Amino acid sequence: MKMTRKLALACTTAVLGSAAAAETMTIGITQNNVGVDSYQTTYEKAFIAAAEADPNVEVVVLDAGGDVARQIAQMEDLIQQAVDAIIIWPTNGEAVIPAVRKAHQADIPVVVTNSNIAEQGFDFIASFSGPDNITQGSRSAEIMCDKFKDMGIADEARVVQISGQPGYTTAIERAKGFEDRLPEVCPNVTLVETQPGDWNREKSQQVMEAFLVKYDDIDGVYAGDDNMGVGALNAAKAAGREGIIFVGATNFSVGYEAMAEGDYWGSIYQSPVDDAEAALQTAIDVLNGEDVPFLNYFDTPKITQDNMDQFSKPVF
Amino acid sequence: MAELKKTEIGTFLAKQGILIAFAAFMIGFALANQRFIELDNVFGVIRSSAILGVMALGVTFVVIGGNLDLSVGSMMSFSTIVVLDLHDKLGPGLAILAMFGLTLALGAFIGFLVGYLKLNSLIVTLGMLSAIHGLTLTWSGGKNMDIANKSGTWFAVFGQERIMGIPVPILIFALLAVVLSLLLSKTPFGRKVYAVGGNGQAATFSGIPRARVVFMTYLVSAFCVATAGLLQASRSMGSQNTVGQGMELEVLAAVILGGASLMGGAGTVFKTVIGVLILGFIQNGLLLVGLDFYVQYIVTWIIIILAVWLDVAAKRGRLWSPIA
Repeated sequence: MKMTRKLALACTTAVLGSAAAAETMTIGITQNNVGVDSYQTTYEKAFIAAAEADPNVEVVVLDAGGDVARQIAQMEDLIQQAVDAIIIWPTNGEAVIPAVRKAHQADIPVVVTNSNIAEQGFDFIASFSGPDNITQGSRSAEIMCDKFKDMGIADEARVVQISGQPGYTTAIERAKGFEDRLPEVCPNVTLVETQPGDWNREKSQQVMEAFLVKYDDIDGVYAGDDNMGVGALNAAKAAGREGIIFVGATNFSVGYEAMAEGDYWGSIYQSPVDDAEAALQTAIDVLNGEDVPFLNYFDTPKITQDNMDQFSKPVF
Repeated sequence: MAELKKTEIGTFLAKQGILIAFAAFMIGFALANQRFIELDNVFGVIRSSAILGVMALGVTFVVIGGNLDLSVGSMMSFSTIVVLDLHDKLGPGLAILAMFGLTLALGAFIGFLVGYLKLNSLIVTLGMLSAIHGLTLTWSGGKNMDIANKSGTWFAVFGQERIMGIPVPILIFALLAVVLSLLLSKTPFGRKVYAVGGNGQAATFSGIPRARVVFMTYLVSAFCVATAGLLQASRSMGSQNTVGQGMELEVLAAVILGGASLMGGAGTVFKTVIGVLILGFIQNGLLLVGLDFYVQYIVTWIIIILAVWLDVAAKRGRLWSPIA
């Protein structure tokens, strides 16, 4: 990993010398925390691959390692290097705003990727490229409701929710999307309780164990991502409770496998490759002066046992 | 006669304050939701707590020996990832052996730095917390690790099976607790751990090899971490790289809640077990009561402070004792 970054840096330095001659654009990216999960690891690989495929683009690939201070320093480095555009995957939606503002003042357009910065910073960015978490939440609600209708229990079903880490935008938005949409499509389904699983499989398993003790009648579980969904599924299996409909988000390979085995009903397909390619494309479009929507979402479709053969198994 | 009995009860109370606190919480939660004390739920909680519990048993040795171990969380992630990865490459038996070997090597390294180079254990293990995390990420390339064929292996025994109706993680936790309790209270090694932690200089004058004792406490801790990693891996048959992240503080909280002194020299395995159970049952009890989760963090803290207060109050024989 470190090699790649050094290489990328070496490349850019070399390119910067000759940049004036060719029509090359140099795009710098500072990522959140590569290596902390497979999603971010795959994202980085896809980003580098997409950049290499485009002869007009040179990239400087940096990683903040989850550290806000390091990310701010990296922003300043990129400004110093006078790259043409900066893509940032914020380590913290609030703390990076001053650094983003600095880039804006230096006339370097900034594209935020994957998770947005706080609203106060919106004036300083060219575009946000990433998934629409509220839509993801509503789509999960629709997947669950459709399934209940098929089963003929849409008038009585009871659902529990295992949300992501409290305070995280993604967690809040997905929960909101789900909670708003469910009563619209299935007004008689009750959401009996929500507890956080902190994006953690083991924690979700514990939460689900408690739910199973507390409620004799659970028809559906909505989890903020598949990792947590599979934890909940493990708990239900261990307790011998069958017939529960599990719906997640961010389809992980474990979720995909559980769907193939018929244990897990559906999820939202979010590809880190699409995420990375959309971010790079957004930055290129901004530099080419094209009209880019401020919130530039890439599509994250529904995936269920019925249509999963149209999707390849996620790599993470 | 009656007078004597009163003193006996007094001594008992003073010794077992934390046990009383534990009983009080259990009764409180059981009144709030009677399902709390159903056997299935009790088994569920202890099984979930077993992973934290096994780690806390090891850290009890380190703390009584007068040191800290903040690396156990990321070491547990390491063990989990390593055993899952090697499972598909070497088969379950060899994978477990190799994982225990590697984890013990990490423990030996920490023990060497703290025991023989006499470096501050806080600094060493805080550093190892990040270093081992890096090691884990390097090993896995940042990817989640999953066993490919989850139904075709006996590896699930440790985390998911039951023997005579009792979940295996509980049996392992109980067995390890008994063995380590005997090791600490009934053997010369155990007495040396107390001596080194209680008064290092006095220990040296008594001819106790301090460095070796400290080194050994970290080996015990690493052994426990490896066992916890095995339980974790076997329970979910797959894992993120961050599975143990933050557990070092929960482990330390359980050990201290059990009454082990951060200064070393005091504590027992049994009380650590009570500390672990208190933490586990609080978490489960709050879920069953259905408290809003933002409030749960605050209530958890209040209960811990109450437990510590009851414990010291029982020892001192009075509730109110300002610093004089």
